[in-house]
Amino acid sequence: MKYKDYYSALGLERGATDDQIKKAYRRLARKYHPDVSKEPDAEAKFKEIAEAYQTLKDPEKRAAYDQLGTHPPGEEFQPPPSWQQQYSGAPFSAEDLNLDLSDLFAHLRGESRRGPRGAMRGRDFEVAVPITIDEAYHGTQVELDLNMPEYDEQGQLRRVPHAFTARVPKGATDGQRLRVPGKGGKGINGGPDGDLYLNISLRPHPLYRASGHDLYLDLPLAPWEAALGTSIEVPSPGGMLRLKVPAGTQAARQLRLPGRGLPKPREGQGDLYAIVQIVLPSVITEPERALYQQLAAASAFDPRAHFASEAGHAR
Amino acid sequence: MRVELNEVIWIEQHVLSLAELAEISHLPAPVLEELMDCGAIEPMGPATGELRFGPAALKAARIASRLRADFELETQAVAVVLGLLDRVDELHAQLRALQARQPRSHR
Repeated sequence: MKYKDYYSALGLERGATDDQIKKAYRRLARKYHPDVSKEPDAEAKFKEIAEAYQTLKDPEKRAAYDQLGTHPPGEEFQPPPSWQQQYSGAPFSAEDLNLDLSDLFAHLRGESRRGPRGAMRGRDFEVAVPITIDEAYHGTQVELDLNMPEYDEQGQLRRVPHAFTARVPKGATDGQRLRVPGKGGKGINGGPDGDLYLNISLRPHPLYRASGHDLYLDLPLAPWEAALGTSIEVPSPGGMLRLKVPAGTQAARQLRLPGRGLPKPREGQGDLYAIVQIVLPSVITEPERALYQQLAAASAFDPRAHFASEAGHAR
Repeated sequence: MRVELNEVIWIEQHVLSLAELAEISHLPAPVLEELMDCGAIEPMGPATGELRFGPAALKAARIASRLRADFELETQAVAVVLGLLDRVDELHAQLRALQARQPRSHR
């Protein structure tokens, strides 16, 4: 298994006092706890910190950890058999390369010496499941590969790979969660198994932006299309749609296509909004320029009429 | 071989008893009751018969459970944090909604 430096995870020296360990954990937990932190890698960071603290705060586990000696972090090593006899509450499979250092300490006698070990509910696992907007629209199948610590028939601790497929029903949107009861970590001493949670997030899409079950689409129009009105085709996750753009459509106006957004889990469907942008060609030809000049000469339109009156009030 | 997960439930579709909520969130029932006294966790609908809890309560209870375990917080403090996190979520959702309405070239 890979060696991890629990002291440096907490930013501490080996000889740190219990008080220093507690303080370092508190400071880092406040910064990286995934429920309160907005740091980009908070979840992974906190896992490291919590793992280090779980081991170092317990005098017995800490002693066992110190007995492993120091290795460069990430180096492959094996705890000697004598170590296992002395400390380990759970025999582990020495040749299991997937076994994590944290597995050893999670199952170490440590604090649990307080009394007979009761039944414990298995751990809950949370998995991030990023899906595309098209997958959210139609529903999708995701494949999950998880490594869970478990005891084998010989009562040895092992990392067991689990390959799952799960159907994400249509109706998913950013931030929604699915719960799969009983598919988390195995219960200990007859306790119930934990749950598996799938945290759905939507991958960015080149055309649509999601807000809940509504979708937003930029709709670029040429100035004459906005002025004269037109009928155009716009993309939607369900296929192309024909949209009537009324004459005199202003920029930033939202044209609503009801029920063309993402489906909702039980019933109904979000809306698709096409947001008008009036765009100009970056290069115009001579005839186009002549026509613009003709329009400028013919039009009495003053888009800044309100400047004069509003500025007048300010004086 | 891949195992097909058949029993997949949207968090949004959960309706739970107090005992079920305690089980799923890993919070003892007395702590849940204390959080209800502070108004941090609320049962659904009118309080007649057995209490029923919806997705909002489940979400709050799971966060409360983690906060208690990881920060050694008292229940009252957990209630305050839950309130603030709710507010953050609300603002975040509003921000996302506004960003979705912004044309991309103007961002």
